[in-house]
Amino acid sequence: MQLQTASQVINFAVELEDKSAKFYEDLAEKFKQYKEVFLSFVKENKKNKLFVQRVYNEVVSDALETGFSFEDLGVDDYLIEINLAEDVSLPDVLKKALDIEAKIERFYLNAAKKSKSFLADVPRVFEKIGKKRGERKERLKSLS
Amino acid sequence: MAVLEEPIKEPLILKNYVDGEWIESKGKLHDIVNPATCKTIARVPLSTPEEVNEAVEKAKKAYPEWRRTPPLARARCLFRLKEILEENFEEPSRIQTMEHGKTIDESRGETRRGIENVEVATGIPSLMMGYNLEDIATGIDEHLIRQPLGVFCCIAPFNFPFMVPLWFVPYAVASGNCIIIKPSPRVPISQVKLAELVDEAGFPPGVWSIVHGGGEVAQALLEHPDIKGACFVGSTPVAKEIYKKCGQVGKRVIAQGGAKNFIVVMPDANLEKTIPALMTSFFGNTGQRCLSGTNAIVVGRNDIFYKKFVEAFVDAASKIKVGYGLDESVQMGPLQSKKAKEKVLGFIEKGIKEGAGIILDGRKAKITGDYPPDCFLNPTVFDEVTVDMTIAKEEIFGPVANIMRAKDLDEAIRMIHTNPYGNAASVFTSNGKFAREFQYRVECGDIGINIGIAAPMAFFPFSGMKDSFFGILHGQGKEAIRFFTESKVVIQRWW
Repeated sequence: MQLQTASQVINFAVELEDKSAKFYEDLAEKFKQYKEVFLSFVKENKKNKLFVQRVYNEVVSDALETGFSFEDLGVDDYLIEINLAEDVSLPDVLKKALDIEAKIERFYLNAAKKSKSFLADVPRVFEKIGKKRGERKERLKSLS
Repeated sequence: MAVLEEPIKEPLILKNYVDGEWIESKGKLHDIVNPATCKTIARVPLSTPEEVNEAVEKAKKAYPEWRRTPPLARARCLFRLKEILEENFEEPSRIQTMEHGKTIDESRGETRRGIENVEVATGIPSLMMGYNLEDIATGIDEHLIRQPLGVFCCIAPFNFPFMVPLWFVPYAVASGNCIIIKPSPRVPISQVKLAELVDEAGFPPGVWSIVHGGGEVAQALLEHPDIKGACFVGSTPVAKEIYKKCGQVGKRVIAQGGAKNFIVVMPDANLEKTIPALMTSFFGNTGQRCLSGTNAIVVGRNDIFYKKFVEAFVDAASKIKVGYGLDESVQMGPLQSKKAKEKVLGFIEKGIKEGAGIILDGRKAKITGDYPPDCFLNPTVFDEVTVDMTIAKEEIFGPVANIMRAKDLDEAIRMIHTNPYGNAASVFTSNGKFAREFQYRVECGDIGINIGIAAPMAFFPFSGMKDSFFGILHGQGKEAIRFFTESKVVIQRWW
């Protein structure tokens, strides 16, 4: 599926933040030794969600190209799967987390590129969150 | 992609908002239909002349105390309103989509633009300041004070049901006046929702009122001796009439009329960026916007560039997803009513009859989702259009684009000036000289340079010239403050 309107893109970003927050909540329950790290990710996700929603609501304008800015932004490459098997091991979970973060990072950076023509604040926030996801990948790697 | 939840579940019976109370009207009720689903979502009264008089009387009664309320305290009401609007951002946006048909992105954009006017009006303690000069003669000082006038009215159009009254109302009340809004009887629900939030913000009763109705209510407001001035946005014939009427009876007036906006595409334009901007310009709000592009003039004798432009334009227009605006994937909603669609169809027929080439026919709508086709059209594109054709001269107010050619910028500007309207015009170019020439010479109030919709921000006036605007001062920003206040000059000397 292709995302074309600003509303679709923002909602997809919110969905990614919600889903990955749920994923880290589950990890915090399962792997107590890294509870704090995972919960800090959850907190950060909530903040990201707020940033994304706020930037959209604050800069959306009927006069700009909100409906026509995201040509060729397909969602299939960025869909994440967060279910965990009962007996999943920490190394497997971290691998999965890295995969999720890589997809989310790519989504934000690509969406930032595609949205450059219309609202300056939106690509800036997307880029910022994308970079943060890159940093998160490094943190995850340090846990393994 | 799922369709967002509708905030209106059962048909509403709308009431007038007078003296801080919701009052049932004795007038006849008229159905408000969601143009995408064709379901009735509300019934609006056509208020009686007595109800108009009552609203004016209450507003007049509220005026002296509101006028004496310090500007900072008035600004605080607006700050509270701004906060409440932010908290309730989504509901009025979805209501706009339900009553008007526009997409949810467009509705949210409209809500944002409305809020921006509230934000600007909160600056009233600075905006309303006068000026002074000591010693205009020895020992004599002179100063200017801006004072409110009393009760105003705002007669709103159907195409921006939430935003347009906010071009005026926040400035009217911030400067100490009271105002009565007559929403368009086609799309009155957004203003009702807004008034509910105004009520929550704690404005004193009578400062901000709503009286529903059609032409008769507008007439009664305009003829009322206690109404000091009127703000109107709508068609040119009505704007002219209102301007005349207000002139006869000595009322202030801002009367914004129709438009026919030209977009000039120079051969050096960046097409990759120009085309998405033009899609929003021509087809955003389903073309029902006084700043919509309607006539695209491609400049130059270069046939390759012309062909490339036309192909890219038609390709992008043909891909626009049409459907119910609450479906987030939809890029263009329905026309606001069946009648509006019929009017647009009539123009398309005329275009064909007068010899324009129809290169994208949007008459048979392809709709995303299962909705009745009654109000839907897809984008239509004509080429080989000349300035004397009806489709090039008259305001279509629908998703129809006309492509024309000019040999150079001079000819393009001459073509623009054949048209009686002067609301907006844009040029797409990479050349500063072309842009400067365009801005300097084109007789339109709102100029876009590489901008498809030259919509002034809340802190700039919403301009307009020729048959698109009647009056002197415009809505929004400082000009609105000037409109809603009288300049009083005091010259003083003390012995």
